[in-house]
Amino acid sequence: MAISVDAPDVSENLRRQRGYTFLFLSDPKADVIRRYELLHARGGPEGTDISRPAEFLIDRSGTVRWENFTEDIRVRPRADELLAAAHAIR
Amino acid sequence: MADATRKRSLAIWIGLLLTVLGTLSNGLPFIGFPAAPVPWISLLVSLIGFVVVLVGLWRTFGQSTVYKGKVSGSIAAAFSLLFLAGAIVFFWTARHIPAESATAPQLGQRAPDFTLPDSTGHSVSLMQLFSDSAGKEPHKALLLVFYRGYW
Repeated sequence: MAISVDAPDVSENLRRQRGYTFLFLSDPKADVIRRYELLHARGGPEGTDISRPAEFLIDRSGTVRWENFTEDIRVRPRADELLAAAHAIR
Repeated sequence: MADATRKRSLAIWIGLLLTVLGTLSNGLPFIGFPAAPVPWISLLVSLIGFVVVLVGLWRTFGQSTVYKGKVSGSIAAAFSLLFLAGAIVFFWTARHIPAESATAPQLGQRAPDFTLPDSTGHSVSLMQLFSDSAGKEPHKALLLVFYRGYW
């Protein structure tokens, strides 16, 4: 699932446009983003608070099994890394 | 010596092209290109381009019997410097993510549960996704992708 500060209708447009089938969750006040300590203050357009890019793979018990934080907005995790971690979860 | 026998320094124009391409390649991740090695390569290409321009310019001014195009060469060099500056600025601003995330959930720790509306406005709770599966096999794992938003 994808989480951002975008309003539900913005995410719904994006989801339809690109044909994504996973969930998009809206955190407009960045409450959850703050709880995960991912706030990029004034990082968005017009100085709004947004989330830094970060990914967490969690198992059924809610335990983090793989995670990624980028230092550079252009550098994102590679799918093979993530898939290896996902395959390790039984 | 007659102008016809003097040539333009090709290095200046190849260098300028490299600087421009290097700088523009910073945009590749935004059109879906896998980005992991690109930031360094982009900066390096721009930098090499600028060095090539300088070599060409040095030749043009140093061997004016062989090369022509001092004015156009200087203008090209100025543009090349401008693109290199842009590449450097972009390199540093894209890297600058001020969030520390020191207390973010770590490997082996519990990810905090939460409830948020999905894109159709329905409330979704993280841990409920592992139990409610409407007759389907329950999820073994979930991937949370926090992203900057779409604009």
